[in-house]
Amino acid sequence: MHRREALAKVSLLLGGALSGPTLMALGRWDNAAAGATLRDKLNLSAQQKQIIAEVAEMIIPRTDTVGAKDVGVPAFIEMMINDCYYSPEHRSFMAGLTELEGLKFLQMSAAQKTDALKQIEQKTKEQMKAYNAQTIKFGDNQDLEAMNAVKLGLPFWRLMKELTLLGYYTSEGGMKASFEYVPSPGKLELTKLKPGQKTIVY
Amino acid sequence: MTNLNISAIKSRTYDAIVIGSGISGGWAAKELTGKGLKTLVLERGREVKHVVDYPTAQLHPWELEHRGQLKAGVAEANPVVSKCYAFGEATEQFFVKDAEHPYIQEKPFDWIRGYQMGGKSLLWARQTQRWSEFDFEGPARDGFAVDWPIRYADIAPWYSYVEKFAGISGNRDGLPQLPDGEFLPPHEMNCAEQHFSQSMAKEYGGARPMIIGRCAHITQPQPIHLEQGRSKCAHRTLCERGCPLGGYFSSNASTLPWAAKTGKMTFRPDSVVHSIIYDEKKQKATGVRIIDSNTKQMEEYYAKIIFVNAAALNTNLILLNSTSNRFPNGLGNDSGLLGKYVAFHNYRAGINATYEGHLDKTTDGRRPNSGYIPRFRNLLKQETDFLRGYASGFGANRGQREDRNGWGEDLKTGILKPKLDDFWSVGSHMMGETIPKESNFVALDKDQRDPWGIPQLRISVDYDDNDVKMTKDFFEQLTEMYTKAGFKNIRTYDSNRTPGLDIHEMGGVRMGKDPKTSLLNAWNQLHHCKNVFVTDGASMTSTSTQNPSLTYMALTARAADYAVKEMKKKNL
Repeated sequence: MHRREALAKVSLLLGGALSGPTLMALGRWDNAAAGATLRDKLNLSAQQKQIIAEVAEMIIPRTDTVGAKDVGVPAFIEMMINDCYYSPEHRSFMAGLTELEGLKFLQMSAAQKTDALKQIEQKTKEQMKAYNAQTIKFGDNQDLEAMNAVKLGLPFWRLMKELTLLGYYTSEGGMKASFEYVPSPGKLELTKLKPGQKTIVY
Repeated sequence: MTNLNISAIKSRTYDAIVIGSGISGGWAAKELTGKGLKTLVLERGREVKHVVDYPTAQLHPWELEHRGQLKAGVAEANPVVSKCYAFGEATEQFFVKDAEHPYIQEKPFDWIRGYQMGGKSLLWARQTQRWSEFDFEGPARDGFAVDWPIRYADIAPWYSYVEKFAGISGNRDGLPQLPDGEFLPPHEMNCAEQHFSQSMAKEYGGARPMIIGRCAHITQPQPIHLEQGRSKCAHRTLCERGCPLGGYFSSNASTLPWAAKTGKMTFRPDSVVHSIIYDEKKQKATGVRIIDSNTKQMEEYYAKIIFVNAAALNTNLILLNSTSNRFPNGLGNDSGLLGKYVAFHNYRAGINATYEGHLDKTTDGRRPNSGYIPRFRNLLKQETDFLRGYASGFGANRGQREDRNGWGEDLKTGILKPKLDDFWSVGSHMMGETIPKESNFVALDKDQRDPWGIPQLRISVDYDDNDVKMTKDFFEQLTEMYTKAGFKNIRTYDSNRTPGLDIHEMGGVRMGKDPKTSLLNAWNQLHHCKNVFVTDGASMTSTSTQNPSLTYMALTARAADYAVKEMKKKNL
């Protein structure tokens, strides 16, 4: 929806003229809406979904405990990118997937896959420098759409790794396999360090 | 026709009306129904029943779809409320979204609101320090605002009264600046916190104590808590989702069900109060006009007494919007001061550091509380170039980090072997008293209305030079104290946060001795409309440094007791 059109609709809803600060707040609301149109839902092919699953499983493989695929991490990653990230990350995420597709990642041997990820990991260091170096100028509301269109997103590998860890270690299977989960500790007390004890999460 | 009207009016008539069901409204409801008054409680938001309406309270981390993160667009759509520390995927249902309830920021002000049964009592930080004589005599001693019409001795028995029912944990520290209350057992300090407390005792000889905070958590249930259906706090620290155990005090878990049990309470949700009805002949308030938020229809309810507990700024709004021939500028506003002398707490400053002792220990569990440094500045006499002072939080925790390099089995094993930091992380935040001033005010906008046709509130509140000087002093004094405790890597920060985010806005309908310079008397009664009582944050003459909710509870219980006695004497 066009900015002004959206604003007009909101004004009508609220029944009257709007103040500067309220307009500003609504402007931001509207920008989010504009961001959402820029940020179409990921349209992933079956192959791309397989790549996500494969990479997630390589980050947290099944060992004597469950792996990323076992606890639904691939679907979690797709949902999180769709729901919680903006167009720059949508672009960087898709760019990473496309790159692996181009390398025929799924057809590679295990050793080749490892090499490919190592290269991507290496390249991420440079991408992170560029990502951190970019300066974002906040101008008036109109700038934001334009800014989002050119802004670099967090690199693919970073997104994959962060979301795999988040998805795995907050999943029921991943959390219970890795930590001692104590939702109702009932106390806070000092404790001496015991070697080899599982980390407690609350 | 006349008969019909009479019976319609009768069915809409109560002994008392309470506007709002948050911390103070819940107490008004409990006290008034407990004394036998047929009481209508008006709540602008929806009903939130204890336990059953806490949809996220029992969710495990994996049951939150986004694991606690906000969806894209939520923060942008809510630039105000998303700044609140407690706002997240698991709690957003209890916060007002920015666009739903517009207001005008003449100066930047983050107005955090919870429009539902229980109000912000579901969301509060649960710190319950008593105010002291130093606080109530402050304006008179230091020459600002006006003299409080009450002293500590007037409110002390009411603190005891509400503490026993609410359940307050704390240690009896014997401090005149932070009087002891009716405490359940205190939470423990960890070894790094004890170290700081002991260092301060040694270095300042009792002038700058650090104690465990007093908070509204049941650490050892008493029969009165069990009777409320509440039980011991389990240290889940998921409080803002609503507590299924009733481990902390909220209107929903405590006062409102208690009031309901009397059979005297009628609870009406979705009732946005428009104004209080003033009868020019009877020279008193006769009822309340509401707008039903579902039907958008205006309706009237009637009562002999009215308690206004809409939360500080909305209480101002309702009184300002209650105009009549007698009160063209708002109910009881002969002085012209209604909406003025609004103040808040300065939370913008913080300090953190590392402590390298006690490295053989860490902590197990969680604690819904922290350490507390009561005000020490300008306490016994004026000693700086700014008025009043600040309290501070204090907390220490042992962090841990794991090796997150690489991927695969190595990463998986690395994460299982976190290494404890070689230090304890310690930190404090400032809770500064701000000075109420005429220039910090709220008013009704002449043109702009909210979705219910009620004038929007225009908020004009800002820091002043006193706050800037006090912030600087906090940095200097806390740095000195941290240095004396042997802490390293001391860093201070000024978040420059906008007023309002402290969620301690107070004043506008202040108490005082003189009707010319205040709105309420010593019993929280409007000087010029005696059957209307204001006992929430709006009534505060000054702000102290202590978290204010416990004081609202005590003032409410005290005013309700007075109101009922006056009714019996036929004075109301």
